[in-house]
Amino acid sequence: MTDGQKVVIVPCSGIGKSYGTVSREAAYDLVDELRPESAQLVALSLLVLGDEAARAAVAASPAVTIDGCKLACATKMVRESGGTVAQDFAVLDVYRRHRDLKPQGIAELNEGGQKLARALAEEVADVVDGLTMPDGEGGEDA
Amino acid sequence: MPEYLEATVDKFTFRVATDRYYTGEGLWVKAEGSRVRIGLTDYLQQSSGDVAFAEVRPEGTALAVGDEVAVVETIKVDIGLASPVSGTVTEVNPAMEMGPEVVNSDPYGEGWLAVIEAGNWEADRANLLEPAKYFEIMKRSAEEEAGKQ
Repeated sequence: MTDGQKVVIVPCSGIGKSYGTVSREAAYDLVDELRPESAQLVALSLLVLGDEAARAAVAASPAVTIDGCKLACATKMVRESGGTVAQDFAVLDVYRRHRDLKPQGIAELNEGGQKLARALAEEVADVVDGLTMPDGEGGEDA
Repeated sequence: MPEYLEATVDKFTFRVATDRYYTGEGLWVKAEGSRVRIGLTDYLQQSSGDVAFAEVRPEGTALAVGDEVAVVETIKVDIGLASPVSGTVTEVNPAMEMGPEVVNSDPYGEGWLAVIEAGNWEADRANLLEPAKYFEIMKRSAEEEAGKQ
């Protein structure tokens, strides 16, 4: 990656389930607090619409996707938009590693969900660090 | 490979294997000699969502009909599953420990939960549903759920 280029983060855009909310909370934690200088959000809905700016963003930088369920819409849509998925995260897999953080709530996550989102954000931050370090380019699609 | 009854409701297709019995709650029960193998039906796994954890009572556990034999936690709900037969747990699917998602990917095959040495199979079987009967119940339930949306 070149200087100033940011890793693209694409979370789930589903509705009605806690896991989708966790994916978005994690993405916000990442770009607002953990890695604002090296990660940027791209809305999945814009990729679905074929928005030129969103497609250009995923074409120009490696993407990390965060899927709320096994449909893996974020991962599929980045690939269909011509992007490179450096790492795909599934909230369920992260929850299996943190069983004490059971997410509940949709509009507002419970404490467990908030902590799970933070744990997920920290895992994504590690991936972002790997991608933005010198010689850190590439990923599973590369 | 079992044969299946299939119902498509809304955008979902649900299958019922014809080589086993069922409970109205959505467990299947397949006789294997003096033992029975149990698991979640395709309808129950689809309507419950991705399985996060599945905890099955350990080998050696004595069960009466209705005792909790497993708890399955999905992205939507926690389900306590009542044993459809009396007997003793003789085998727990090891996949439930490391890869419970197999319940979703292969509910009638690799996604089985447990094997139970049946204590009174003939009597317990009388309270189970034939595939066609479960299929009716399942289809009605699926149509009611689709109507709510």
